[in-house]
Amino acid sequence: MRTSRERKNLNLNPTGDPWSPWLHVDIALVLSSVALAVIGAFMVFSATRGNDPALYDRSYFNRQLLFLGVGVVAMASAAYFPYRRIRDWVPAVFWSGMFLLLLVLTPLGVERNGTKAWFEFGSFQLQPSEICKIAYIFMLANYLERFNGRLDIRPLGNALLLGLIPIGLILLETDVGTALVFIAITMGMLLVAGAQTKHILVLTVVGIILSALVWSSGVLQEYQQDRLTSFIDPASSQTEAAYQQTQAQIAIGSGGLTGQGFGQGQQTRGEFVPEQHTDFIFSVIGEEFGFVGSVIVLALFAIVMWRCMRTARKSPDLLGTLICCGVMTLFAFQMFQSVGMTLGIMPITGIPIPFVSYGGSSAISSFVGVGLVLNIHMRRYQVV
Amino acid sequence: MATASRYLPQSHRLRLAILAAVAISLFVPLIARLWYLQVIKETAFVERAADNTTETIIELAPRGRILDAKGRVLVDNRASILVTIDKEEMASVPVDDLQELFYDLATEISRSGNLTKVTEIESAYRSNRYGPFAEVPVVQDISEELQIYLAEYSYKFPGVNTTVTTVRDYPYGSLAAHILGYVGLLSEDEISSVALKAKTYLANDEIGKSGIELFYEDALRGTPGRKVVTVDKFNNILEINEEIPAKAGSDVQLTIDIDLQALAEQELARGLSTARQQPTKFEEEGVVIFNAPAGAMVVMDPRDGKILAMASHPTFDPELFVSGISEDDFDDLTDPGNFLPLLNRAIQGTYPPGSTFKPFTAYAALDTGLIGSRGILGIDDPFYDEGVFLIPSCEGGTCRFQNAGEAAYGDVDLRLALTYSSDVYFYNLAASFDILPGFDLESVQVAAKYFGYGSRTGVTLAGEGSGRIPTPASRRDAYRENPDAFLTGSWLTGDTLNTSIGQGDVLATPLQIANSYAALVNGGTLYAPNLGQRILDPITGETEVEFAPRVLKEIFLPDAFSDPILEGLAAVTTWRSEIGTEGTAYSAFKDFPHEEWPVSGKTGTSEKQVENALIADYGLFVGWGPNPDPEYVAVVILEEAGFGGQVAAPVIRNYFEMIARNSVPAYLSQAEKDQIAREEATKASFNTNNEIDQPNEEDGVS
Repeated sequence: MRTSRERKNLNLNPTGDPWSPWLHVDIALVLSSVALAVIGAFMVFSATRGNDPALYDRSYFNRQLLFLGVGVVAMASAAYFPYRRIRDWVPAVFWSGMFLLLLVLTPLGVERNGTKAWFEFGSFQLQPSEICKIAYIFMLANYLERFNGRLDIRPLGNALLLGLIPIGLILLETDVGTALVFIAITMGMLLVAGAQTKHILVLTVVGIILSALVWSSGVLQEYQQDRLTSFIDPASSQTEAAYQQTQAQIAIGSGGLTGQGFGQGQQTRGEFVPEQHTDFIFSVIGEEFGFVGSVIVLALFAIVMWRCMRTARKSPDLLGTLICCGVMTLFAFQMFQSVGMTLGIMPITGIPIPFVSYGGSSAISSFVGVGLVLNIHMRRYQVV
Repeated sequence: MATASRYLPQSHRLRLAILAAVAISLFVPLIARLWYLQVIKETAFVERAADNTTETIIELAPRGRILDAKGRVLVDNRASILVTIDKEEMASVPVDDLQELFYDLATEISRSGNLTKVTEIESAYRSNRYGPFAEVPVVQDISEELQIYLAEYSYKFPGVNTTVTTVRDYPYGSLAAHILGYVGLLSEDEISSVALKAKTYLANDEIGKSGIELFYEDALRGTPGRKVVTVDKFNNILEINEEIPAKAGSDVQLTIDIDLQALAEQELARGLSTARQQPTKFEEEGVVIFNAPAGAMVVMDPRDGKILAMASHPTFDPELFVSGISEDDFDDLTDPGNFLPLLNRAIQGTYPPGSTFKPFTAYAALDTGLIGSRGILGIDDPFYDEGVFLIPSCEGGTCRFQNAGEAAYGDVDLRLALTYSSDVYFYNLAASFDILPGFDLESVQVAAKYFGYGSRTGVTLAGEGSGRIPTPASRRDAYRENPDAFLTGSWLTGDTLNTSIGQGDVLATPLQIANSYAALVNGGTLYAPNLGQRILDPITGETEVEFAPRVLKEIFLPDAFSDPILEGLAAVTTWRSEIGTEGTAYSAFKDFPHEEWPVSGKTGTSEKQVENALIADYGLFVGWGPNPDPEYVAVVILEEAGFGGQVAAPVIRNYFEMIARNSVPAYLSQAEKDQIAREEATKASFNTNNEIDQPNEEDGVS
């Protein structure tokens, strides 16, 4: 009989007005994520404009604004279709994503900094692993939902096998950072989906052993290992990775309490920090806006994460909860990893800060994530 | 509004809470780290950012030039291309490839004409005076073609760069090398000693090492400019924050006249080569060879103590020091077997002055009254010189002293004793100082010290020798220090005798001798000799500092003392008696224009004691003129060359004759010589063309 009601109320809209869910949009989530993206766009401008006021390079800024626009549209689209309906499309999207991950390993993919993770279209690049994050969250939530919050060993194994597909493909790109994001998402969602404590503990131990095996197996190049370890003692290292982290910390530290002001950061102007517009963009925030600005940016992230968790709790079904938790974990892990590496307390893994870092794939996937959370939030009163 | 979804069981709320807690906990380390970096460590990072982004560029200032008395440039600067190695960049080259790279670099540089060894490049690169990020200078003075080549093939030579620097240039070659000195890279000792100077020095900077370059370092050194700039990672300049322009060093004008200097060097060299042509002497003690390897000459203006010329032989080419002298070359220049070319014998060589010392013994006798009313004889009183002098009641050591070759001059008064250089006459005076009550045993030493012997003249050059005037006290000390070198520690009458004729332990530099005679002929003013005349602004040429004559002391020298001495010395070059006895330099000055340019002089022949070897005497001559108010005092010393009257006097005679006849040749720089050679070549080819034309016409006739 539950199924018949489901079928009957396929629209799941008590009032019947297709626009009524929009009355329940989470304004705080929208505003804080857009605020992060706007701040990010200006930081990208500061990091890429160059030094000659007459010849400021606006191209990155303009493109980032474009990504922001596309991202907002993507967010709205992701919120528009009821998420339980989107579920039907998810396997197709997920498997095409996997296909793209496979394709990017062929000569069609472009290699950058030793990682083969991009397709290139003129001046735009597409990073399929970014898009796959959201598809994976939905796919995993879709699978885990059916066990009603108690995972036995078999479904847990199935879920892990599902996760191994994108993680394996991404490791083949040698994109350790993004693979770690997938692992974090999986762990977070398994926790909420009802994995048993003993399984989680076993998984953690197995994970550590596997990491150690991979580390000593020689799969990772020397420079990759160095990127992962140089943060421990950057002064002793002469490598590019140590240089990058040292310079980032100089930039952040010299920002002081209130920063040197927008466009005034000497380290930023001198382009001392490699990748200061993408993965290391937090160095620009730290230098130009200081401790106060940095904490404000972190606070915006806290709001985004809070709203995700809030929606997870309010979700009318486990699917929504799992999606929200996945998205929240995605944001939390990427934010922590990326800011932490800029601050020198995490290894360099080359993950962008959601919303803030330059890059279309990341911006769009982050906004789609927010869109899904909005989708759930908007439809939280709908009877399942 | 419901706080949580209806479907969620309690256990899931807990799991959500755990996830939220984990997420919140992530902010703790981030904010703590931010606080640490931005608040606690802010100052340190601000400094590091400033280190990163601001750079101080030092603009080198050219060194001042050195000019002669007439303003001709003796030491100039020229641009030179320097090959440097960026140590930081080179560090990334594998060790195995490094050797090959150095080899290729040495090959290319040598091929361009600047012979360079691999080991030279390597030792420069490995020198520990440069930090790990420094640009190390490797080879100076490469051609422009090579510079272009190195730039084109920079991929072959990673870390090898070229820059243009200024180096010293010597338009007159090795002329006056000892006076001018040379510059070189700062030594480690110097780095610490220049730290407090007003003009900043960098590790790669050059500093005066000897001669005028050293003495006037503070004036010659340019003040480096400073530019503090903001740079980006690639060292592009974004902004200039502060700029102090470089200021060239001041020019130093010398009292030296290069025409007189060149003539002095030529005559000195000629005198030595003439001396070498004397036949080897076979004496009882052994064979005496006139090696004449070295010598010195000083020409001064007695009226103000200016040095007009100063030559030391053998000399060296300062150009050797320009690119940083090689070890082999430097060893050659400091090898005693090569007679120490770097040694400036005019101020650093100490010689027994021999008979040139006698006028001061005479002065001692006049000043103490030994010659005079209370003494043993009057100025004009004759003393019979039988060629040999026996010390009365001799107590030890040598008791029998004789003239050179035991020549007996017969009756000589003070004047003739100087003219003939009678040792016996002066032995008699010395013995009287030693024996007679009421006379100081050290009268000769006291008089010599009046005239500057035994202490540095204070010439404006570093490294001057002080010579030595022996006294009973100094003998005692010397004996105590080295008992093997002396028979006894006590001062014997014979020592006073030896001292009176400038032998024994008496040592003087050629400059001391010149300076003492300058005081003798100018009425008793002892000057500290000057080599620097003024310091000039390098741009405007205006005088910044003028160096006045420096009077050391006025010696008590009434005409009653100086007249007889100077008259006796005037006769040295002119006197010949009817019986054929003559002044010791009479023959050397034969046919000299004495009427227009009256000249006086004193010969000296001194014995240098060398262990286990018999060497020829050192020949000396001091001359001055034109009398009665001399403008020139000239001293020449020829080592191992024989009699002063025979070998040294002609050097001064030729020198003064050129001055007297107003025919000192103008000394031309290499550039001027080249110019003249070119002009003559043009003229010659013009003439040859004419000559070729004429035979053509003649061909037709024949």
